Formats: sequence, C-alpha cells, structure tokens
Amino acid sequence: MTTGIKPVVSMQEAVRRYVPDGQELLIGGFAFSDPTALAHELIRQQRKRLFIMKTSGGVLVDQLVGAGCVERLLSCHVWNSVGPVAAHCFRRALEQGKPHPIQIEELSYGAFTMALLAGACDLPFMPTTPVQGAGHFTQRTFLPEKFSVVENPFGGGPVCVVPPLKPALGIFHVQRVDPYGNAQMFGPTGEMRYAMAACKKLIVIAEELVDTEVIRERPEATVAPGFMVEAVVIEPWAAHPTDAYGYYYRDLPHHALYGEMTRTEEGFRRYVDEWIVATGNHAGFVAKLGEERVAELLVRKDRWWK
Amino acid sequence: MEVSATRFEQMFLTGARCIKDGAVLFVGFHWPMLIARIARRLHAPNIVIVYENGIVEDRLTPILPTSPCDLAAAEQATTCAGSLETLYMWLAAGRVEMTLVEAAIVDRYGNVNTTAVGPYLQPKVRLPGSGGGTELSSLGRDLLLVSASANKRSYPDRVDYITSPGYLSGGGERERLGYKPGTGPKTLVNPLGIFKFDGEGEMYAAGLHAGVTPAEVQSIFVWPIKVAADHTALPEPTDAELDIIRQELAHARKRYYLMPED
Repeated sequence: MTTGIKPVVSMQEAVRRYVPDGQELLIGGFAFSDPTALAHELIRQQRKRLFIMKTSGGVLVDQLVGAGCVERLLSCHVWNSVGPVAAHCFRRALEQGKPHPIQIEELSYGAFTMALLAGACDLPFMPTTPVQGAGHFTQRTFLPEKFSVVENPFGGGPVCVVPPLKPALGIFHVQRVDPYGNAQMFGPTGEMRYAMAACKKLIVIAEELVDTEVIRERPEATVAPGFMVEAVVIEPWAAHPTDAYGYYYRDLPHHALYGEMTRTEEGFRRYVDEWIVATGNHAGFVAKLGEERVAELLVRKDRWWK
Repeated sequence: MEVSATRFEQMFLTGARCIKDGAVLFVGFHWPMLIARIARRLHAPNIVIVYENGIVEDRLTPILPTSPCDLAAAEQATTCAGSLETLYMWLAAGRVEMTLVEAAIVDRYGNVNTTAVGPYLQPKVRLPGSGGGTELSSLGRDLLLVSASANKRSYPDRVDYITSPGYLSGGGERERLGYKPGTGPKTLVNPLGIFKFDGEGEMYAAGLHAGVTPAEVQSIFVWPIKVAADHTALPEPTDAELDIIRQELAHARKRYYLMPED
C-alpha cells in the first residue's frame, strides 16, 4: 500500500503476476460490475485450485467452476440472473462432482457484508442478521467459525456475530480510475466499499483511465483512494455481460446464450473455445460480440456525468 | 376478456393487493418484482422499493429489471447506496414496512429453501443459495412469500435446508433464538390463493382463488394443511386488472423471464 503512480498492467499481465494457482481471491461485483473479463483470462491461463470469494457468483463463477479453476468457493448466491436459468456448471460441480468436486461455504449477503466490514475496519467481529436455527448457521464446511452467538454485553439477549473476512487479494471492477489508483464507482455499490477495504491487496479493473482532475469533479464517487490500490487494469467492457452503471446495460441475450450453451459439459466447452480461448483477449471478445450489440448496450455515447 | 385469468395470473393480483399505496417495500428477486410492479400500476403508484444492492426505485421504470441487480432499476433512481444501508439501516432498523421474497420451496412453518434439495454436501438438486433472501426473512416486517408453484415438491413438511428462516420448528422458537419481534412470514401467495400463519407459526389457507377447493389445497401440501373455516373467496381480476397483468407478463417474457409453461 503506497502513494504515487500505480502500475497499469494488461489483464494478461495482472493474472500472470498476481494470481498464481491456489490464490485466495475475492472478486468484486454483485451481478453488476462483475469483472467477467478477469474470469476469461484466468480460464485462458488455466488457473487451478483457486479459493474464490464472491458474494453473487453469477455467470462469472459458473465459468470458473466449469473450467476447473476453483477448489474452494465462498459465496451467497450463484445463478444466471436472467431467466432466471440455472448456473449449470455450478450445479454439475455440486451435484455430480464435474469437472471435479469443489468445496463450498456460504454466507447470507448481509452476513457477508458484515464480515467484510469487520475485516475492513479491523474489528474482531460484527453483529449481523440473526440466522440461528437456519442452514447458514448449522451447515458449515471449511469456515467452521463463520458464525457465533454472543450475549449482548449491554443486556437484551443473544446476538449473532461474524468474524472478520480479510481476503489476501481483491480484484474489482470500477467505472474509472486515475494514474494514482483513485477508483470511482457510480450507481449502487452493494458491499463494494467494505469489500475493497477488507482485502490485503487490491487491484482495480476500470472501464477507463482518466486524469486526476476528472476524479476531483466527483470525489464522493471514489470507492477506493489511490493509497489502497496496488495496480490498475484498463479494460473496457470488462463487466459484460453484467452491467456497468452509466456505461452499458446488462446483455440479456448473452446471458440467455450462456445459459443455453452450458446445459451440457460439451456445450460449455464449446462456449469456452469460441468465446474465451479463440477470442484471445477481451478486445477479441468484444469484437466477437459485434458492433451492433455493443451499440445496443451502450448507455450513452458521451459519459453521463459530464 | 375472452379468456378468464389463469391461477398464475390471479396470483399476481392477490399478491399486489397485499401492497398498500405509499408503503416502503423491500423486494427480492423474480416474481416479487413483478408483483410490486403490477401493484404500482394498479393501485399503489407511490410505493418506494428498496433492492439489496442499494437502489431505491420510487417510480415505474420504463423497462422491467430482470433482477434487482439489473441496473434498469437504477435508471433515474433517487438513491443508489449499498448493502449496509439497504439490509441494515433500512430493513433491520424497521424503515421498510413490507418485504416480498420468493419461496421456491417452503414448509409448514414458512421456512424457505433456495439452497439444496437432499443432503447439503451431496445435493439431489442444487439451487442458487440465499443472496439476501436470508436477511429478508430474518429481518423483514410484514413478510410476504411468493411461490408460483402448485406442485407438492414445493411444499414439504420440513425443508431440507432453511435458507430463509420462517418460524423454524414453530411454537415460538424464532423469538427464543433472538429474532426481532414482529418479524417472520405473515402471508404466502401462490396460484391457489393466500395463506397466513397461526400463533404457533403454522401456515394455513386463508383465501382461495376462484374454482380452488379445500381438498385441492390439501393435495399440494405434504403436511395436512388447515383451511380456515371462514376462508374467503378471492376476487377474480377485472378486465382492466387482467389487462395490466398480461401486459406485464408479456413485458417480462420480452425481458427473458421464463414463464411456468416454458
């Protein structure tokens, strides 16, 4: 964690440099701002045994699981949010152990938020949603201490608490960033502010690199000040097929296409071959989407906040 | 209207009628979003909807969002905040007056399973998991559960996994464990009618859609569900109401919603 100019690296280089096999990695986004371009590069570089944390897994986690990149998964939800149709690879892994079994641990979205907040603030625990008697409380796998109940020291009965979560590495999608790593998000931010601050090392993937003077126009939109950021990736359309507020809409046909193709293992392999491997990089992926689709999804030709 | 409403269509009217104009609602994924939208078009234009990711939606969006995180919901929103605000400052703190959550599989005591059918580690059917559904059931006031299913598999005596806690094992267990008073499911709507919960936390049928008999209700629940002696016959949609429901279902289909018959 330092001040000054931050390295701007390609997605390929970011994965090569920061995400070795076995990495513990929290990926940002909550069915919007999901950096799917990161998942594609992890698949291209054939990462293995990753410990992925992601609140809402969506198509991104489904792909990583289907491609055999994941050993452990901590999440609160994994599904294709359009339809809704199943996250087929996720189901195959948990129901049939294909392509290989994965370990799953789950938190509710509120508990996940509070665990990240505790991590971000370096607090020993946080009170959270009561979940006593529910599955999240009774069913535990690789985080046996994910919940506890303490007596309210100020009186008033039992309180459900979560321990701090401090992921070794976090990679998040944001709308824009400056050379110092000052990263801005617009629209809803879900748990992103706390999740970013909970991570021991933080990389941001931005739609565009802007001058610091542009950042200064909207300082309240900065979700991570530059001193929290280790490195920067500039990758337009990185969150496709989810949405990036102010930049592009959710791509419904692509969600549907993914859902349809991934019904079978063979179909998933075809998706990976055609959309991830053959495209080479994310610019190639966007080119494959085609100008017409890109034009449909683009929210504004000119950035809305100017 | 030449063709009368299907029971699936009636469910939207019954659900929408539970919503009071001007209320602050927390709305979960899928059919609850459509019920709230239909209520807004029918009789409740002034509802304010909160979604878990931070969006406050206070008007009819031109486009139906496919999920709470479809940022079509955030177009011209008055507030875009985050999950700490929505789940804790607004929902847990009691600022949200009513909560709507989908209940794909729901048991006698209103416990909802959206995680796994069969053993957790070797599931027969793996489902999405909780998202914020646990909070909605754990913290929400005036909780309305929505199920589009009239299939026995959706109404077991006890769910295999409690994703969203209802009254747990009933008989006051929820309060004993520290859940806030006033929380817990109040109502369930499905294609057969409307259901409420008694003092022990057990679900019973309170009102039936046209043509639905108590015997039919009992045939889709695994446990011997009670049907209130004074259960009401729920009104059928008027032509105008049905027109709006069908417009919104057509809109949903265009937005890639899968319909029960698909």
